[in-house]
Amino acid sequence: MRALSQAALILLAALIPAGLTAAFHPQRPPWSEETLLPGEARIQTVLAWGGDVQWIDARSAKDYEAEHVPGAILLNLEDWDQLFPRFLDQWNPEKKAVVYCSSTACELSHEVAERLQKDGISPVYVLKGGWEAWKSRK
Amino acid sequence: MRTLVFLLCAFAGSAFGQLAWENPEQTFNSKPQDESVVAKYRFTNTGKESLKIENVKTSCGCTTTALTKTEYAPGESGEIEAKFVFSGRTGRQEKAITVSTSAAPQQPTILKLFVNIEEPVKIQPEIVLWRVGEQREPKTIHIAIADDSPAKIATVISDNPSVKVQITEVKPGKEYDVQVTPDNVNQPGAATLIIRTDYPRENPETKYAYARIR
Repeated sequence: MRALSQAALILLAALIPAGLTAAFHPQRPPWSEETLLPGEARIQTVLAWGGDVQWIDARSAKDYEAEHVPGAILLNLEDWDQLFPRFLDQWNPEKKAVVYCSSTACELSHEVAERLQKDGISPVYVLKGGWEAWKSRK
Repeated sequence: MRTLVFLLCAFAGSAFGQLAWENPEQTFNSKPQDESVVAKYRFTNTGKESLKIENVKTSCGCTTTALTKTEYAPGESGEIEAKFVFSGRTGRQEKAITVSTSAAPQQPTILKLFVNIEEPVKIQPEIVLWRVGEQREPKTIHIAIADDSPAKIATVISDNPSVKVQITEVKPGKEYDVQVTPDNVNQPGAATLIIRTDYPRENPETKYAYARIR
């Protein structure tokens, strides 16, 4: 009986910090992999938009040249000054801009989307899962 | 009760691993000429056993890390060097470096690197857009010079004579408004606005903004 009450106490002692961490820690993992950050869109959503989408590839020129979403425009921070005017020449303001990088782990798509938004380009979305999501689309 | 205390200590020990970090979060303020920053994260193995740093992962391809060795004896110190190359990034940046060790492979430490990248000449927005057929009204581009930059705006020129620019000094030497007006918005058009500074003297910096009629 004593062992059981000690075990319950230990469990309680562990649950309090665990609960606080889950609720307040800035680095807490999402409850689900599918959680969308602000401005993100799932591949199924973007595909449903059909031809209403302007794809923007935020990866390196090397990755873009190897393979990219058909019709995507290359635009990354490394070569912004060269690529931005080329992007403007191809950009269709009627379409929704969707930026992607390699995977969920990369930040480039969010950085490029943020810079485009600062320039007044709207609407801009980030593809959840990036190029990996495009490759594994059904 | 002793069992309880022991178990709590064991839990606490495993939750924090064996590496003690001196400055797991570091902040830098870049100068206009900087292209990168290097942060050094010093650590000590405070455990009773040797440990191995198994993985060091960065949140961005722009940040690379260097580690001289991976195995550390009890009491031994080392450091992870992280280099963040700006590559066109501006403003406040936050990069993460995730370190996994053999002591707690499932509980990596997340080191943080915060950098405030100053833009010597800030142009906002970089593009002004008119839709074909809309009213022909001027649009404004704001130029701001960083406080500690000696640069001033020398000229702003449009490469298309049918898109006119007019520059106004809002705050002497520090802030300017460029009013952009196309002659005609009834057909598509484009212009590049060439913004020349007077600094550095031997090779003054040139920035660009864009006007589009679509």
